[in-house]
Amino acid sequence: MPRLSIAVKSLRDQKWQIVGFGLALTAMAAMHVYIWPAYRDTLQNLKLPAAIEAFFGGDLSIATGAGFMSAEFFSWVPILLIVYAVIQGTGAIAGEESSGTMDLLLSQPLGRRALVLQKIAAVCVGSVLIVTIGWLGFLVSVPFVNIDVALADTAIASANMLPITLLFFSMSLWLGAVMPNRATASGAVIGLATASYFVNTLANGVEPLRNLRYGTPFYYYGAGLPLVDGIDWPHVGLLLGVSLLLMLLTLRTFGQRDVTTGGATDLDAAGVLRRILARSPGG
Amino acid sequence: MSVPAIEMRGVVKDYGRTHALRGIDLTVDAGRIFGFLGPNGAGKTTAIRLLLDLIRPNAGTARVLGFDSQRQSIDVRRRVGYMPGDLRLYDNMVGSDFLDLIDSFRPEKRDVRFRAELLERLGLDTSRRIRALSKGNRQKLGIVQAMMHRPEVLILDEPTSGLDPLVQEEVAKLLEDAVRDGRTVFFSSHVLPEVERLSQSVAIIREGLIVAVEDIAKLKARSVHVLEVTFASAPPADLFALPGVRELRRDGNMVHLQARDGIDAVIKAMAGSGCKVVDLRTEQPSLEDVFLAYYAGSTDGRAPADVRKERSHATA
Repeated sequence: MPRLSIAVKSLRDQKWQIVGFGLALTAMAAMHVYIWPAYRDTLQNLKLPAAIEAFFGGDLSIATGAGFMSAEFFSWVPILLIVYAVIQGTGAIAGEESSGTMDLLLSQPLGRRALVLQKIAAVCVGSVLIVTIGWLGFLVSVPFVNIDVALADTAIASANMLPITLLFFSMSLWLGAVMPNRATASGAVIGLATASYFVNTLANGVEPLRNLRYGTPFYYYGAGLPLVDGIDWPHVGLLLGVSLLLMLLTLRTFGQRDVTTGGATDLDAAGVLRRILARSPGG
Repeated sequence: MSVPAIEMRGVVKDYGRTHALRGIDLTVDAGRIFGFLGPNGAGKTTAIRLLLDLIRPNAGTARVLGFDSQRQSIDVRRRVGYMPGDLRLYDNMVGSDFLDLIDSFRPEKRDVRFRAELLERLGLDTSRRIRALSKGNRQKLGIVQAMMHRPEVLILDEPTSGLDPLVQEEVAKLLEDAVRDGRTVFFSSHVLPEVERLSQSVAIIREGLIVAVEDIAKLKARSVHVLEVTFASAPPADLFALPGVRELRRDGNMVHLQARDGIDAVIKAMAGSGCKVVDLRTEQPSLEDVFLAYYAGSTDGRAPADVRKERSHATA
């Protein structure tokens, strides 16, 4: 059995992030459940234009508890998780190289694959912990508030945030393997996440753009829909499948290239392309 | 004939248009202290990182204890203790936790006693966070992590840079102990005296090529001495008109000179002249002087000024 010291170290290194993001989610979840009764009457009497309704509520009516939680919580909270994912994803390879510590790790009898897989495992555990801590916010609110949302469904909807988190994590991981420059990799993924969030939100409400949403991970994520419909397995499968593909690409790219130290990059456009195509300089 | 500790054959490494290594052939016999000498930017670190499969060659093969650096990298790394030249540690870790982490990758049982001995001999306190350690203490931690599991081969990239002379001396003893124990030490340096002091053999690398592999004794014999002699009064102009000796300049009663074939003739000339010598200093020959000694006899015939210029332009 291989020793999991890298996984353990990674988890230890991110413990305050896990606690911090987790508690932020807890607070958000509980607060939104507790303010729901105050909003309910107003929202139920309010007739919003369909486009605005769609903008806020996606496919659910914002005048229902599920729609409200979807619009106010599940639609954007994944952004927080994605921030965590990007920090971890770019830190795992690019960060370790930028800080120059990768040389020390990989001079040990530790394979590159094992190293990356342990770091992936740590982030999987970390994400589950954050979402679980966040769900405690529902545990301390839903049973005590008159809201038409079942506690079990909040658990399902919370767990449903994991695949999109994993997608953006593996995207950051892969970009960090392609270009061992943490800032560039983070910028690229954050930009992509933000753009796809807004495209999806806009496409929900603006008919001519409607088909664009099929190109964004947020559509497959489905915000609060699992509160009503349960998990959409094909969509989850797609997010997880792309994540897995990116992880495999990461193993391949990082397995074949030179390790850099101190964020040194010899990268021009051709170099990036070469790495994406994963051709080692020797081979 | 036993398997060499390190063997490189035709190793080429390019970084884009930069040719870091241009065909390295090198054999390091087991059980020796081997110095790898060259100016900054000559390719020392590139060659070393290649042995550990941190980077991959464009051509050629590298072997450590008979294991292919690339295809049998884990076998290599299991037997090697490595200290990077650009040593970066986890600043937020406590020293002893860091050593535990490094130990955790090793299948063999932790040798607590030897680790404690190393820490004591180097005078390193591992109860503090690495962030709080001085440059020298970080360097010591780097040496301990490389040595503590008694690897068969120690590969150390500029191990003593940043250490004060007393600690350098202790490191030298540690390395000598390791070799006496049957291990091999391969270390790089850009400082000639360090290599002379520590190693039994030396390879000199310059611009990505091994230009010489020598026993230290021979290197010393070939190396140039630079002397600065101060007399009580101006010495005769032709005092140092000796074979292999060149006067560099005179400042009043002070003469700077360079002796290529040892300093014996110079000392005897001074003694025979009857001039009163007030002061005599010898300077360590610089790497450039060593190269000069090598290139003076080569057909290449490159002037030392060339070497100097390249050195000043070179980067790590």
